[in-house]
Amino acid sequence: MDRGRLRREAKVAWAIALKDMKIYYLKAPSLMFGILFPFSLFLSFVIGRNLPIAQAIPVLVAQTIFFAASSIGPVSIPLERRLQTFDRFLSAPVSLLTVLLGKTLAGFIYGIGIASIPVALGVAVFDSHLTDLTAFAAGMTLSAFGFAAMGIMFASLPGQGPGQVMMPLNFVRIPLLFVSGVYMPIRDLPAWGQVASAASPLTHAIELIRLGLGGENFFGPTINLAVLAAYVVAFLLAGMRFHVINQTRE
Amino acid sequence: MSAKYAIEASDLTKYYGSFLAVDHISFQVEPGEVFGFLGPNGAGKTTTTRMLTGVSIPSDGRATIQGYDVHRQSVQAKALMGIVPDTSNVYEELSAWDNLTFTGQLYGMTKADRERRATELLERFQLAERRHEKLDGYSRGMKRRVCIAMALINRSSILFLDEPTAGLDVQSVVTIRNLIRHLNEEGLTVFLTTHNMEEASQMCDRIAIINHGRIAAIDTPERLKRTAEGLQSVEVAFDTPPRTTVDDLTAIADVSEVRKQGDKFRLYTDNPPRVLAAVWAYATTRGLQLITVNTLGPSLEDVFVTLTGIREEPRTDDPKGRRGRSQGRGGQ
Repeated sequence: MDRGRLRREAKVAWAIALKDMKIYYLKAPSLMFGILFPFSLFLSFVIGRNLPIAQAIPVLVAQTIFFAASSIGPVSIPLERRLQTFDRFLSAPVSLLTVLLGKTLAGFIYGIGIASIPVALGVAVFDSHLTDLTAFAAGMTLSAFGFAAMGIMFASLPGQGPGQVMMPLNFVRIPLLFVSGVYMPIRDLPAWGQVASAASPLTHAIELIRLGLGGENFFGPTINLAVLAAYVVAFLLAGMRFHVINQTRE
Repeated sequence: MSAKYAIEASDLTKYYGSFLAVDHISFQVEPGEVFGFLGPNGAGKTTTTRMLTGVSIPSDGRATIQGYDVHRQSVQAKALMGIVPDTSNVYEELSAWDNLTFTGQLYGMTKADRERRATELLERFQLAERRHEKLDGYSRGMKRRVCIAMALINRSSILFLDEPTAGLDVQSVVTIRNLIRHLNEEGLTVFLTTHNMEEASQMCDRIAIINHGRIAAIDTPERLKRTAEGLQSVEVAFDTPPRTTVDDLTAIADVSEVRKQGDKFRLYTDNPPRVLAAVWAYATTRGLQLITVNTLGPSLEDVFVTLTGIREEPRTDDPKGRRGRSQGRGGQ
């Protein structure tokens, strides 16, 4: 692909992201699954436990990115498929990857934006410290992008309403909380739990963010980065494949 | 790339599971032509349009837009077309201005160019005054106009219109038809999918009739009508027709079918002068006053109905083929 075409596709992806921000950020399912859900889960996790807030902040940040970033695609794509506005992308002179990257970008910005709230609170109020800015920034960026792409992948499965997509998505998202070092440190998990933990993208997001905020790291940042990057690619490719299947079937 | 045809479908096929929705159809659309695509519900019209525009991937065959393969050279092919689907797929949460400029961005237009074009189209479509209002407050006709404007933002040379006037009020229908005519006069190729026979007859240079996923006929509207010469008819209305009028008229020699249409009776025949004379004699004998007499050639609807098998063509040489009103309208 030549440079001019690349620049043009990047502009289109950004236009799609901006359009999604205007339309979907304040939709009820985005607010419910992207904001209310992770904060409620967090409160149910910390209330009644004698856990220092500063120690819980990385969990809240990762959990917020996880839910917020992965909620925009499952709201926008099924609605657009139902209203046939998604056909506009399929009949426009842009690649499917550009369309999905634009939608991923909308989820990415939503995830980063919402997760910035606990980060700011942690640093300003609860004495959290950014001890490894690189790990923290890489963790935030890669995990927001990866989880947004995960949402896009689920949204690309044949399904007509946001509710229908949210169900299988939550079927995956919620169990991941239990094997990703959210409720229990990874070193305390049984062997099979540690294997499952290694395969979970949420584990690596929490690990990098925790490392950035001065916490411990089980798998090491290199593995964290590699796994998250692999998931970004895998989710996007799977999302594209699902769309091609949809175009063949519909 | 210079290509002979604006649109070319070759052996285009679509299966939904084991159901064959479009069955190896082939046709060509000339540049600058208004090409009508007619068929009953479920005949494969929208599926064909979706394959031609790259929204759906064909099971077999190929489609080209000015020589560019819609799937292998999709960027080049899609840059040449504008699409108005059967439902107005606009972003209701955005204004008309935002809808148009966003579509311009999808087509890679510069900011200055897309804003100039959006201004021009909104004025042309009489939407300029409300351009900053969200579309959820627009009427259905206004949304349709926005949808057509969005399809034209990239100065496309081929416009796909799927039922552009369906469900609209008369004023919107007239506005949209005039607009399509003007666009065609400016050189735009139009692929028009419609149920409306009058619309197709008035607007199309050629028409393809699709039925059960296959092309039943392709020709100009007038040539298609000539294929159904046996569907000429005489339309009459009496001041106070007796209850037996349909049966009485059906008994006239050379009348193959009588259909009651409101207060009028339509007598199908291949010999209108003889039937006119017989109707006159019937009215005189019964003391009825004729208030309307028209002779009509076969309509596009007659051809469509015959070709799609909704109603069999009347058999003028077989008295047993005569049918009354209850038979003639069955299945419509």
